Amino acid sequence: MLEFHWQAILILLPFAGAAGCFLWPQRAVPLGLFVASGIVICVIGAGWQLAELGTQRYAVGGWGAPLGIDLYTDGLSLLMLAVTALAGLGISIYSSGYFSHERARYFWPLWMFLWTALNALFLSADIFNLYVTLELLGLAAVALVALAGGADALSGAMRYLLVSLLGSLAYLLGVALLYHGFGSVDIAILAQRVEPSPVVWAAAGLMSAGLLLKTALFPLHFWLPPAHASAPAPVSALLSALVVKASFYILARLWLEIFPFAGPGPALLMGLLGAAAVLWGGVQALRQTRLKMLIAYSTVAQTGYLFLAFPLASVTGWTAALYMLLSHAAAKTAMFMAAGNILYFGGHDRIADLDRIVQRLPLTITAFALAGVSIMGLPPSGGFIAKWMLLEAAIRSGQWWWVGILIVGGLLSAAWAFKVIGYAFTRSEAPHDTRKIPVVMEWSALLMAMLAILLGLFAPWPLALMEIGSPFDREGSG
Amino acid sequence: MAREPGGEKIVNPNPMMSNGNNCQRLFRLLLGLLLAVLAAGLGYVLSSLPSPAPGLSKPVAEHLEASGVSNPVTAVLLNYRAYDTLLELGVLLLAPLGVWSLGVAARHREPLVDPVLDMLARLLVPMLILVAGYLLWAGAHAPGGAFQAGSVLAAAGVLLLLSGWWPGPAFSGLPLRVSLTAGPGVFLVAGVALMFAGGRMLEYPPPFAGALILLIEAAATWSIGITLAALFAGGRPVAGPHR
Repeated sequence: MLEFHWQAILILLPFAGAAGCFLWPQRAVPLGLFVASGIVICVIGAGWQLAELGTQRYAVGGWGAPLGIDLYTDGLSLLMLAVTALAGLGISIYSSGYFSHERARYFWPLWMFLWTALNALFLSADIFNLYVTLELLGLAAVALVALAGGADALSGAMRYLLVSLLGSLAYLLGVALLYHGFGSVDIAILAQRVEPSPVVWAAAGLMSAGLLLKTALFPLHFWLPPAHASAPAPVSALLSALVVKASFYILARLWLEIFPFAGPGPALLMGLLGAAAVLWGGVQALRQTRLKMLIAYSTVAQTGYLFLAFPLASVTGWTAALYMLLSHAAAKTAMFMAAGNILYFGGHDRIADLDRIVQRLPLTITAFALAGVSIMGLPPSGGFIAKWMLLEAAIRSGQWWWVGILIVGGLLSAAWAFKVIGYAFTRSEAPHDTRKIPVVMEWSALLMAMLAILLGLFAPWPLALMEIGSPFDREGSG
Repeated sequence: MAREPGGEKIVNPNPMMSNGNNCQRLFRLLLGLLLAVLAAGLGYVLSSLPSPAPGLSKPVAEHLEASGVSNPVTAVLLNYRAYDTLLELGVLLLAPLGVWSLGVAARHREPLVDPVLDMLARLLVPMLILVAGYLLWAGAHAPGGAFQAGSVLAAAGVLLLLSGWWPGPAFSGLPLRVSLTAGPGVFLVAGVALMFAGGRMLEYPPPFAGALILLIEAAATWSIGITLAALFAGGRPVAGPHR
């Protein structure tokens, strides 16, 4: 079993799940849950293979790069697959209670396609294949946002579609320039051949701009809050926890492997934009009156932290950013699920009218508070470990000014989290009808929030996983 | 900024734009300037392009023998980089799925009774189907293949829809969904079967490569044709997809 095709199954299984859910909509929920558990098993299999045999290169079709397409697994891609599998399983369980029969018919195949795209993206070692996965990912994500129906969701989805296409096309133009210049689209081969020249700079600029747009780094975040806030709750969780991280992953791979010679200039720019995102996202989150909009702005802020890894440019810095990504995925999934529960229960998500949610949905508000602990970066959560490591990386590299951003960002998160929790205790002036909420929705939110906390207690495991194949060691600008 | 009459305010993502006309004009000017700089930069890069690096045409030609086809484009699409094509077929299934989730096809109330259109359809549709079949077969050694054949088949479908021939409820349930899924489905089954037969994912044994490619392309042609025609219909079928 050690030599088994785990990588290939990780892509084919959700693909087959998508086709199956589309063909037999009546069986979509059990089929989707089966695929979700199957993917978790495959990720464990791939992790075992990685731990025993080291990094894996899988030549699809048996041709091998440069003629064929390779799949590549190291600690970084395994970690992304694991985040996707855990958050995906949680969201699948949550969705089995959330959607009405009519919506579930479309949600499940779309979600399975999204999962296919994510797994394929994290495994790909080929920049053109990455473009194809981006296309699949973007289209599935847009259709999922539109699933909510209504004017807000449709206009949010439309804007998201246009942004996503623009980002993909900019990326594709960069791929074309690189292929023209160096005759390959395989990342490892390009890493050996690419040298600084105007073509390479143009390609790097185009690909980065496209991916930054998709990652919603400040000031390119304008499309994110409407799209993420108007989508159905499990979809908001998917988008914030996983989809924006996918384009960040490609960006990190490109800069670590193909363009490590870029020097401190572009890296500093990304770090500054990241810092601006932390501040702007935090302030905007504090100003929101709707819970889902607030959480969406917090995603803008939390994405900013990831980009601090570029100027810190050290193994610790990258590991910290990845740990931030991991704990944010868990915490944000829990938070959107909790918001979804509140919306499902009371029919609205106005923060000022939360109306004694503490007594009425105790599990949900506990989930929200625990996720808030991780997002603020309080011990013993995953967010704390990530910020601690960022702090360490900043001081060790002598760039102490980033520490200020960490502190202010944490305070802003604390401010909005306490504001929400405060309203959860008070009685609202306008009482409203409520409806009963499925048990799985409350428990899956709580379990995801506990995962975000547990990531702080069991940090050595994921940290050891990340080091397989030392994906961060190639950094040229030390 | 746009407001829905009577509806909720649309979220304004860019508050700068709502501060009157002047701001908007400045914004547009700035945007135009940025785009001009971008265009100039790209123009400079394109003019300074070095001669293209030796691409992959040599290895493509060298392995053509083992690929099962003699048309290099088909060899790349269906063999060397078949995995990309598999994902693209996924995109093609995803597209009608997304459209169907939005609403029901707005069918013309009454079929157009136009003798010229009717005659044309009767004449052209069989021809188009024949051309699609030829393109599919020719793809192995000449320009052609599943995507071209599928588009021609879709043209036949669009012509039928225009002349008022809409599929009945018997076809709009499971049979339609099977038609849409056939292309990626056969591809997927081939990929998995080859894996369990001892190869890697989508690794065709050279003696069977030609036949496998034809099988996959035939299913893909059917699916692509139905997909594009279904997209033209603009929504999910009215009767289905229940059952």
